[in-house]
Amino acid sequence: MFEPPIQRLIDELARLPGVGRKSAQRIAFHLLNAEQADAQRLADAISEMRSSVRLCNRCYNVTADQECSICSDLRRDTTVVCVVERAQDIPVLERTQSFRGRYHVLGGAVNPIAGIHEENLRIKELVDRVELEGIKEVIAATNPTLEGDTTAMMISRRLKPLGVTVTRLASGLPVGGDLDYADEVTLGRALTGRQEL
Amino acid sequence: MNITWLEARDFRSYETLRFEPDEAVNVLVGDNGQGKTSVIEAIGYLGTTKSLRGVADEALIREGTSSAVIRGAFDGRASETVIECEIPMEGRRKILVNGKRPTRMRDVLTTVSMVAFLPDDLDLVKRGSAIRRGYLDDLAARLWPQAAAVQTDYDRALRQRNALLKQEGRATDSLTLDVWDERLARAGAQVLQHRRAVATNLQPHLEEAYLVVGGSGKLRWSYRSTWGSDGVRDNDDLAEAFMAALATRRGKELEIRSTTVGPHRDEPELMLDGRNARSMASQGEQRTTALALRIGSYRLIEEVRDQTPILLLDDVFSELDPSRAARVLDLMPTGQVFVTTAREDEVPIRGRRWSVRDGKVLP
Repeated sequence: MFEPPIQRLIDELARLPGVGRKSAQRIAFHLLNAEQADAQRLADAISEMRSSVRLCNRCYNVTADQECSICSDLRRDTTVVCVVERAQDIPVLERTQSFRGRYHVLGGAVNPIAGIHEENLRIKELVDRVELEGIKEVIAATNPTLEGDTTAMMISRRLKPLGVTVTRLASGLPVGGDLDYADEVTLGRALTGRQEL
Repeated sequence: MNITWLEARDFRSYETLRFEPDEAVNVLVGDNGQGKTSVIEAIGYLGTTKSLRGVADEALIREGTSSAVIRGAFDGRASETVIECEIPMEGRRKILVNGKRPTRMRDVLTTVSMVAFLPDDLDLVKRGSAIRRGYLDDLAARLWPQAAAVQTDYDRALRQRNALLKQEGRATDSLTLDVWDERLARAGAQVLQHRRAVATNLQPHLEEAYLVVGGSGKLRWSYRSTWGSDGVRDNDDLAEAFMAALATRRGKELEIRSTTVGPHRDEPELMLDGRNARSMASQGEQRTTALALRIGSYRLIEEVRDQTPILLLDDVFSELDPSRAARVLDLMPTGQVFVTTAREDEVPIRGRRWSVRDGKVLP
């Protein structure tokens, strides 16, 4: 046990994902030995992030404004929406520079064992958007897990009656990789989803 | 394939163990309770990532200690694979393959070719159908890596669907349940296809093994489906049949809150000239059937994976007369073998003798 103020910080840090007891101690002592201003900047960054960041009114991405920078960008295609589980998935897709539409953050995937059901996700909000915004295509970019796939199927069933096209991200081989190194499940899916040349 | 060395710490009765077996036949001789089976268990755990006899992980740790460690090197055709397991009393176990955490645990299953004959193999024939489903699924997972992936998928979809059924009022939304039904059905269709592939590929080996170990008549699988899959071959058609079966039972399943049909409830039976081996065969016929199942899996793994499996024979010769025992070994002659016995003269096989006493394996 350390002095109570230090111990309190260590305990808080250790609750963060990916930070163990040892790392928490190192960070705490690093902050203790750092310049007062450095430590203050971190504290300010955390509290400002918490007080200023909110969810986008339209897509539920994180933003400092009413709408996120993607939704308010007039150059984006408003007829295509890419549905993701978490806001962290958006920058990943943005880096591809291949998608010019908007997003919709569900807030997870259905998982009855963990008590996460359709109404805990923003599926109803997605349906409303499709009805109001003139969306023509919805791309289900949920994770390729059992729960992610099932969520994609659920979205598809809810949206089909509205006449919108629902597509799913393809699963397949990593580009630049060797066939040798692909696992057989991924390779199996790639075979099923093969395309004519 | 063979194991070149085996080490253990605080595993069952062993404080430490270092064993460098012969690459052919190894006979472990010792009185009961001296640690023969522990050696088989250690090798089996490395090859299957679980206890061969279905013992819980904690029960494998030596009394009074907090964790057990097993490691060993498996020599395949071209490469050596070192597998290490640390089994703690609390927390998650750690498995390393060549020093690295494997991306998927099922890869270990197809890395090591291994077949074990155990004293309670008779259960395969005598007990309920769960153990025979397990036999078909385990063998599929050892033959084809996708099979293990599909089984995991099915089990998880089943648990999710049951969780949904158990939550008050949740499952009454028919669209939600429809989606889980479809997910379950797609995985279930593939689980069934793998079981069928195992049964079909196993058939010639099973018939031959049954005759060679002294049975008479024809031994074959008969698969009783709970969801009308009989005669349906195509994956999509199977999934449709499964969904239809779930739809018919929906009312009842909402009431009892559990999934009542599917591969997890199917009944694979073993038939001897049309008689059910479980209920209509003699004790002798049942023993012969159990042996044929193990020999059959050995030969099928050898054929499909093109690698001679390691053979583990835990105290099986006390149950067999010498001539039958010799015929069993004739069918599986070429690879590395581990035999345990309390009486050396019972083992009709030449090989390196090891004496197991007080938690030590000595030449």
